[in-house]
Amino acid sequence: MGEKLLQVQDLRVSYHTYAGEVQSVRGVSFAVEKGETLAIVGESGCGKSVTAKSIMGLIQDPGEIKPGSRILYEGRDILKMKKREWRAYRGEQCAMIFQDALTSLDPTMRVGKQIAETLRVHGRAGKAEAAEKAVELLRRVGIPNPERRAQEFPHQFSGGMRQRAMIATALACDPKLLIADEPTTALDVTIQAQIIDLMKQLQRELGAAIVLITHDLGVVAGIAKHICVMYSGKIVERGTSAELFYHPRHPYTWALLKAVPRLDLKNKQELATIEGTPPDLLSPPAGCPFCTRCRYCMPVCKEEMPPDTDFGGGHQAACWLHDPRAPKVDAPFVVRKEAGGI
Amino acid sequence: MLKYTVRRFFEMLLTIFVIATATFFLLAAVPGDPLSDRADRLPESIRENLYRKYGLDKPVLERYVITMKGMLHGDFGESVRMPGYDIQKLLQETLAPSARLGLQTIVVGVGVGLLLGILAAMFKGTWLDYIIVFFSVLMISVPTLIFGLLLQKYVAGEMGLFPIIGWPSGEELWFGGWAYTVLPTLSGCFSYIATYSRLLKTSMLDVINQDYVLAARAKGLSEPQIVRRHILRNSFIPIITVLPMSIAFALTGSFFIEKIYAIPGFGRYFIESVQSRDLSIILGQTVLMSIVYVAVVFLVDILYTLIDPRIRVGGKA
Amino acid sequence: MEQAADNRFVIIGCADADKEAIARPTITYAQDAWRRLRKNPIAMASIVVLVLMVVLVIFGPLLCGWEYDYMQPTLKNLPPSAEHWFGTDMLGRDIFARVCVGGRVSLLIALVCTCVQVVVGCAYGGIMAYFGGWVDNIMMRVIEVMMSIPYLLVVIIVMMVLDNSVPSLLVALCVTSWCNTARAMRGVILQLKSSEYVMAAQSLGAPARRVILKHLIPNTIGILILNTATSIPNYIFQESTLGFLGIGLQPPNTSLGVMISLGQAAMEFYPLQLIFPAAALVLIVLAFNLLGDGLRDALDPKLRK
Repeated sequence: MGEKLLQVQDLRVSYHTYAGEVQSVRGVSFAVEKGETLAIVGESGCGKSVTAKSIMGLIQDPGEIKPGSRILYEGRDILKMKKREWRAYRGEQCAMIFQDALTSLDPTMRVGKQIAETLRVHGRAGKAEAAEKAVELLRRVGIPNPERRAQEFPHQFSGGMRQRAMIATALACDPKLLIADEPTTALDVTIQAQIIDLMKQLQRELGAAIVLITHDLGVVAGIAKHICVMYSGKIVERGTSAELFYHPRHPYTWALLKAVPRLDLKNKQELATIEGTPPDLLSPPAGCPFCTRCRYCMPVCKEEMPPDTDFGGGHQAACWLHDPRAPKVDAPFVVRKEAGGI
Repeated sequence: MLKYTVRRFFEMLLTIFVIATATFFLLAAVPGDPLSDRADRLPESIRENLYRKYGLDKPVLERYVITMKGMLHGDFGESVRMPGYDIQKLLQETLAPSARLGLQTIVVGVGVGLLLGILAAMFKGTWLDYIIVFFSVLMISVPTLIFGLLLQKYVAGEMGLFPIIGWPSGEELWFGGWAYTVLPTLSGCFSYIATYSRLLKTSMLDVINQDYVLAARAKGLSEPQIVRRHILRNSFIPIITVLPMSIAFALTGSFFIEKIYAIPGFGRYFIESVQSRDLSIILGQTVLMSIVYVAVVFLVDILYTLIDPRIRVGGKA
Repeated sequence: MEQAADNRFVIIGCADADKEAIARPTITYAQDAWRRLRKNPIAMASIVVLVLMVVLVIFGPLLCGWEYDYMQPTLKNLPPSAEHWFGTDMLGRDIFARVCVGGRVSLLIALVCTCVQVVVGCAYGGIMAYFGGWVDNIMMRVIEVMMSIPYLLVVIIVMMVLDNSVPSLLVALCVTSWCNTARAMRGVILQLKSSEYVMAAQSLGAPARRVILKHLIPNTIGILILNTATSIPNYIFQESTLGFLGIGLQPPNTSLGVMISLGQAAMEFYPLQLIFPAAALVLIVLAFNLLGDGLRDALDPKLRK
């Protein structure tokens, strides 16, 4: 237990645009253990997708991974890998499930062939064998009538089925690490639950580690062991799922939890929103990035980035409220009794 | 699908009929007639005979009815300019040179154009890309006419590398006599090279940014594999919808090249017929060309549904 | 010291002023496109070339001091010299002055045909798309027929029915020019028509005219600009074609096409008589093409970051 499969250390990614350098990811570190699920949660534009792409080595031209960043996979720095090593790593060691299955599947290629493609390029199977395995994979992800479905084109699939096909593609080579970039965002709520269940089931069966990227805390609750909350290119709070849901420490996490629709609240209470927009990453603020939207903002927040405060058990939050000099503030709502009960 | 095809077929017939009618009345609106130059100097009686022979003595509407009836049987009437010729005979003689020139031009132009387009897209932002872009802009900025004239003057005339005018005939009609065909093909293919390299480059750059290309990369495909299996496939869709039109266009003759290099082709006769107001031939050639175009448009529609699986089923795009 | 530190740890909440300060100033589509165009040196150079060309075709004959139709029988087929910058033609006319006047026709064609194409094309396409149904069907058929008749035939017949003057040349070139624009506009408008903001305007009771003018046209302007940028070179080519076939303008009028045709006759011994008008034509078309490319890049919303 506890063997690290993936370690991301001080990852910094910038995009060079006409207006200047957009610092999408500003020093993110985390680790994923073998077979466990880590969730990265944050709103649009906080850099979580860029983090995912970095792990897959998919950052391209206007984007740049800053020197000093390290991503260790089984102890090897993948950022120093050669082209050929990258190809062997992608798809075979580490596979990705994309957000929008409609645009992520080639519209002109039959679904079965697209799944078989992964096996073929990694030399795992011959043509006929790969086609058979593709059908098998489709069956495994719960697609009825897989023989016929494999011969169809993506547009003939429904949204949920497409996402299942996407997952089948990712699973083709039994990767040890699965990166799911908002796998449920484009789907209906009922389908979302099915897809999450499918991922849980497959993880149990295959023992792959999953990095789940989402903006929806509700999705995370039942599946993730650890959660990182990202805001404006930084991880502002991290901890086990239980810790984060029971004892959230960062005002942004509080706000996020309040924004999750809940059935257990009595009256028709209005769903909380977080006012304002995240800071412009062209010129990130010197202080805490959340300070302009934080109800507990203090003068120090605008001046200096808060350090991580450790609460034990790997639970950390970067907020000045936990400084001994700061006034004591309680979490502003009743934390629900059971984690995962959403 | 069958119902659609049948409906489209009748629409095509209607379009061709309207085109024939429009052409007829347009030509009728031109002052003077094809005989006036020749006939004015002839005695009255011979002139009347001549007019009667071509049916030009009758009122316009009656001539229209006669012409349309003839058209149904494929009879467009005799040429005024070249006695003894009708559209069928002209077609027999002119179609082969035009078709050969057109095919050669398309094969070279589209082939080279697509190759350059792929290179420009794959090496985007490098000197290769800039050179290709520069030449393709230059190629579409110089009219075919000027290319033809300059190549004729310098490559054929001054350097004497190829014949100045002429076209293979007889046994060499389709194969052989290549030296004659080099310059006409070259003059014609530039515009295709430019058009197709730009079209494919734009299309490829569009496809490269699609999510499924990223997904293919995440699967571990190498760059050449991605280009071959995913990018090219998808970026050829717009090409294939334009190509039939280009082919139809090329087959029915390139007017200027045929005129410059004195090639006995369809386009050259069209110009000459129009200039000498050779009514029956103009009408015949126009109807033929419009049949080809309308048929090609129809073909493209069908083809499109075959290539792009998204359209194949129930028009769900 | 202690006191100061405490001041920094007082909850003040989020101030509204800060939220405003964070937001970047928004740039409109037109501003953005113009900014991108300005940064494109090739497109800017094309604009400069075109402006120079306009000045030259207007004032060129004055500069060199020759009338374009003044014949000097003793000075035929001269090579370029200080007196006659581009030499003289077979009738002893100054080629520089003639190229300027010919260029005038080309640019006039570009201007007039573009205007006609845009106005007629938009109106036609707009009406087609807006009313739909049988109106659309019939109007579409009309376009289909017009586009299926060989363009050369239409142009030649118009030139025959009218005379060989500049206005009839313009009419001839404009007859079918708007068909493509109308089709493109119809396509775009049909797309926009089903969009929500137009639905909103319609449900508020805006009349048809207002919806077309205020909502649809501004949203289609980009496609329109591109459409015209690609058709301008075509007009100029077509004129030169007509001139080459001898059905364009007749003397004393001249155009680049007419000059190219005359140049072809003299090509054997005096190639410069072909090359000067041809070069002028290529330069104008090249400038329009490069400007068109620049505009396409500038207007492409996908490049907007």
